[in-house]
Amino acid sequence: MAEQTAEQTEQGAERTPQWAMAIDLDRCTGCEACVVACASENNVPTAGEDQAAMGRTKHWIRIDRYYEGEFPDIKVKYRPVMCQQCDEAPCEPVCPVNATYQNAEGLNVQIYNRCIGTRYCANNCPYTVRFFNWFAPEWAEPLNLQLNPDVSIRPSGVVEKCTFCAHKIKRAKLDADAQGRELADGDVQPACVQSCPAEAMVFGDMTDPDSKVARQLGSGRSGQLLESLGTKPRVFYLEKAD
Amino acid sequence: MDRRNFVKLVGTASGGAVTGACGRQAEEIIPLLVPEESVPVGVEQWHPSVCGECSAACGTLARVMASEREIEVDGELVRQKIAAVKKLEGNPLDPVSGGRLCARGHASLQSLYNPDRLRGPLKRVGPRASGQFEAISWDDAITEAAGALAAADPGRILFLARARESVRSENIARFLEAVGAPPATSIGVGDFAAERASSERVFGRSGLPLYEIQDSSLVLSIGADFLGGWASPVLYSRRYGHMRQGRRELRGRLIHAESRFSLTAWNADRWLPVWPGGELALASAIGHVLLGEQIADTPASVVSIFADVDLEKAAGAAGVPAETIRQTASELAQASAPVVVAGASMVRRNSADAVAAALALNWLLGCVGKPGGVIPPADPLGVLARQPRFSQDWSERLEQAAVVLVDGVNPAYNAPASQGALAAAQTVISFSSFLDDTSAFADLILPDHDPLEQAALEVPAVSPSPSIAAAGEFVAPLYDSRPIATALSELAEAAERPFEELTVGQAVSTLHSAVESAGSETSASDFEATTLRDGGWQGQPSGKPPATPGTLGTFEIAAKQEGVMFQAYESPQFGSGSGANRPWLQELPDPTSSALWGLPVEMDPATAERLGLVNGDNVRIRSEYGALEAPVYVNPAAIPGVVSMAVGQGHASYGRYASGRGANPMVVVGNARDEKTGCPAMGPTPIRLEKIAGGARLVQFSRQDRDLPPHRV
Ligand code: SF4
Ligand code: SF4
Repeated sequence: MAEQTAEQTEQGAERTPQWAMAIDLDRCTGCEACVVACASENNVPTAGEDQAAMGRTKHWIRIDRYYEGEFPDIKVKYRPVMCQQCDEAPCEPVCPVNATYQNAEGLNVQIYNRCIGTRYCANNCPYTVRFFNWFAPEWAEPLNLQLNPDVSIRPSGVVEKCTFCAHKIKRAKLDADAQGRELADGDVQPACVQSCPAEAMVFGDMTDPDSKVARQLGSGRSGQLLESLGTKPRVFYLEKAD
Repeated sequence: MDRRNFVKLVGTASGGAVTGACGRQAEEIIPLLVPEESVPVGVEQWHPSVCGECSAACGTLARVMASEREIEVDGELVRQKIAAVKKLEGNPLDPVSGGRLCARGHASLQSLYNPDRLRGPLKRVGPRASGQFEAISWDDAITEAAGALAAADPGRILFLARARESVRSENIARFLEAVGAPPATSIGVGDFAAERASSERVFGRSGLPLYEIQDSSLVLSIGADFLGGWASPVLYSRRYGHMRQGRRELRGRLIHAESRFSLTAWNADRWLPVWPGGELALASAIGHVLLGEQIADTPASVVSIFADVDLEKAAGAAGVPAETIRQTASELAQASAPVVVAGASMVRRNSADAVAAALALNWLLGCVGKPGGVIPPADPLGVLARQPRFSQDWSERLEQAAVVLVDGVNPAYNAPASQGALAAAQTVISFSSFLDDTSAFADLILPDHDPLEQAALEVPAVSPSPSIAAAGEFVAPLYDSRPIATALSELAEAAERPFEELTVGQAVSTLHSAVESAGSETSASDFEATTLRDGGWQGQPSGKPPATPGTLGTFEIAAKQEGVMFQAYESPQFGSGSGANRPWLQELPDPTSSALWGLPVEMDPATAERLGLVNGDNVRIRSEYGALEAPVYVNPAAIPGVVSMAVGQGHASYGRYASGRGANPMVVVGNARDEKTGCPAMGPTPIRLEKIAGGARLVQFSRQDRDLPPHRV
């Protein structure tokens, strides 16, 4: 019995979670709380008006919104869009120095100190979620006090993007380890997921059939953005049910 | 409390003494409230706090970690270790936020660490509104302010503050009592005066009703942009999510009536684009049709307000086809759990009537006090009875005032017509942390601590159950500011008036005796410790507060106002304009126009075409009250002939991120008021438009309004 338990624990320890996110568009209101939560968590700098006018803002997550129809029968389609953490990521093979690759848990990771700033990845990303640092970020004192010490500041010349809050994944693993237990569903909540007032977002291990995210994927409303491109995103959208 | 929260929440009680080994001089100047050795580098603590950005009063958690800042001591730069707030999240134990936050809540961190915060008290040296100030010591500032107060006729002391039920409000009330001045008044921004007045009329109970939309099958909201900022956006967004997808068996539907395509309209299954000012006509018409459906036992006074409505005429005044009204009413009548959310996100001349008529529809639907329906306001907790309330004559009193004290409101911005009176007042004293539009008129600025730097206790505007949000102190103030209660008590002392500050701890003990009196096992000190540790207290829902219609009176439906109309509105990120100095919010795309670092005038494609305008062109807008110039956003969802603009930009003075940026729509809206409550209206105001050359640029995050294939799932 004891042996079995030990074996189980070992199996558990070897288990590699496959991270995924499900966003229920029937819940999402477009409030953009997730956008500010992300900036706050990840030290995403503001660009200022002049840089913004050149399209150089960094929004690791944004709300795409498109109008459909004409007044008065007008609708708006909108969705939060962040790095889709593609399994077949178009950004990866074009990087000459392997600064971006998919890790064992399915995260599309960006190694800032390997990045040489060719921006090929950003150009090849169909979701336009990669951002080049044209300048070193600046925070007028004492705004720098808000910076999260868990997340590195990106220097000029490198590309950055949503990490699925990789540092929170790491922290959750360390916490679970310290408590001598396995990571449980819901332990990892990226900043956007944590913040969402409508509880539209769910994050977890898609290979764990009991996880919330796995259940959402099986809801029958689930699809991916630009699915036809074959990028196999790890972000799934549950379409509005009407 | 789930495990995660258990891990996160730690007690806030900690002394002010510095016991750190390092003992550098700088640390003695501004002691850490959380002793530094208890915040090891890289280790986080979560302290409960209360969001002060809107009257929802969400309970939050502040992530506190060790940090460093540079300060000057005797002309030398030293690094000072401090406990800094790194992030704000919702407090999962709080019944309003439920662990979530809105964009403004997150960005309130950029109030605490805003580079333009005032470092200490200031005295004006140049003309009013010139922005010329010089530093003054607290002692001198208090002496000067107390002198002005002592010299003034107490009846002509005017305190303008936010209408919040909080310890802060109670202290303002105590202070005014001590100096013999009349109670504080709000300026009618963000305090839902029309909604409160309507609840009094329709339910005989004051306060804001609670909408149980999470259990509704069909929600009709009239005038209430409840997902975009009205009343309690986080609470209602949570409830909305549940209404849509939280129940296996039922997906609730939403019909939204408003004169612009707001966030709530985005989310609606059907949007009823009602002509601004036509909300009363719409509610009345729906009520009239519902009467024919005979669906509930309705109090006679309610029946009487809808009986004589002429449907066709009302439909015309609302700008909504009679057929759509009939269909909406019949869907409501057939719904298993309908509810009508009644509000005035944009106050009109007839808002008190419009909100009352919409609220009264709930009597016709039989959903008052029912699951999925509306719960009339419960009895107040009675702990903090004296919050500032909107009083109609504030602007007249401002004109007569000898001393004007201002806290948390910005009349020079939200009611630009008040600038003349502010310029003429004998003495203006501001407690603002920023040199904003109104404090630019002040003679003395006695800057308050940031909300995150002080203890707080507030009753939320609406809550699923009786509750308060409370916070102790956990980070030391960055600058030479003082909590307003301290400043008031010093002012009272200098004026030799008896003033006793109400502390958060005392308010919690009062609450304890109010709610735990009957056979309670919790001791007062346990109660206080638990309340401050959890960030608040929550009682049992009071069941079904009894309600009967008060005096409803008669409603008069005015004909539709013809011509091009202008309306101002509060956007989700800027609220009444206070969000404009947070860079995160400036760089957050405006949901409607996708604008960054500026807000455009929104108009429909036909009006734009008639004037030869495309996105980014500039217009001059003129009304009988004033004029503004701003870039245009051609909004495919704007009602033809209705021009809208969000409040937020156009601050004459509000720090580097907001000052001199864009235009203030309130200048054009003018001083129209809701006729019954006197609450400032946000339009409709007849305007004239003309294209102008040059002007401000429209910076958009996304210039594209229409999807291009293959951008779809
Ligand atoms: S916070 Fe949630 S509801 Fe708001 S935009 Fe993001 S996903 Fe949508
Ligand atoms: S809803 Fe109001 S109180 Fe709650 S987080 Fe947003 S601004 Fe703060």
